[in-house]
Amino acid sequence: MIPGESPYKVLKPVMDTQESSEKKKQKKGRESLSREEIKKQQEFQEEAVAHINSLYNYALHLTMNPDDAEDLVQETYLKAYKFFNSFERGTNCKAWLFKILKNNYINRFRKNSREPGKVDYDLIKDFYHSIKDVRSDTSEADSDYFHSLMHEEVYQALQSLPEEFREVIQLCDIEGFTYEEIANMVESPIGTVRSRLYRGRKLLRGQLENYARKYGFNTNSEE
Amino acid sequence: MNCNKARVLMSCALDGELTSKEEQEFLLHLSECQECSREFTEAKKTKMIIREKIVRFKAPQALVDSIIRLGALSSPSAEETILYDQLT
Repeated sequence: MIPGESPYKVLKPVMDTQESSEKKKQKKGRESLSREEIKKQQEFQEEAVAHINSLYNYALHLTMNPDDAEDLVQETYLKAYKFFNSFERGTNCKAWLFKILKNNYINRFRKNSREPGKVDYDLIKDFYHSIKDVRSDTSEADSDYFHSLMHEEVYQALQSLPEEFREVIQLCDIEGFTYEEIANMVESPIGTVRSRLYRGRKLLRGQLENYARKYGFNTNSEE
Repeated sequence: MNCNKARVLMSCALDGELTSKEEQEFLLHLSECQECSREFTEAKKTKMIIREKIVRFKAPQALVDSIIRLGALSSPSAEETILYDQLT
């Protein structure tokens, strides 16, 4: 179904090596994929692969680096495929994948990363500048100063928020998860998610108004 | 409903997380309270800005291809089968 080279090249460097040798020996004896395995692959295609763009964007937000983001997404899918049997059918697969990605990020990237709370904006800015903005302005937007805001300003404002606020805003406003899903992902009660969203948006609004003032827009006008 | 309760429910109202009863009470309060009404408008605007201004990127094709191969079904060779087994 999928043309292309051998999967070895891409998958080998990140292959899991922790599996017990006994299990491997048992598996190597098989000559073809079992019916269960084929079913699993089909389901994985339908359920999980569809969310790759969202995962990639989330990984970009977390790592602030396109190469790390790719690694993170690839690791996430390897792990997701490995544990796909434990994915509860009928629940939100995207939320499940996001949680795996977040855990991977914490385990792998955060330990040796930059100082917490400090963001190397220049790094990601170059990346964003290298890609043409394909979004067109919508006519829905207000004609006030918010209209003049660009991705960079909003992105910077978002990145300037403390992580606990930024995270819930991303998950809610950008990815469209429900409070229950977010609560599960950030491992906090729904009430906490609610108040973080409220406070986070207030902080963000303050940041955006700062940008607006900097560029000489009047921020006092209502509607 | 007072302003404190309205603020607690503000983000829920914005994100469609209120029950219909809560929503009715919330909207009633907004119709009576200019301050909360203004804040709700601002909050709506902030959400809209994030949704509209943050640029979304497509995952690189090479990455997509490698992920798709995880679930590839093209009657795998014995060699590929072993690889899949090692991965799973």
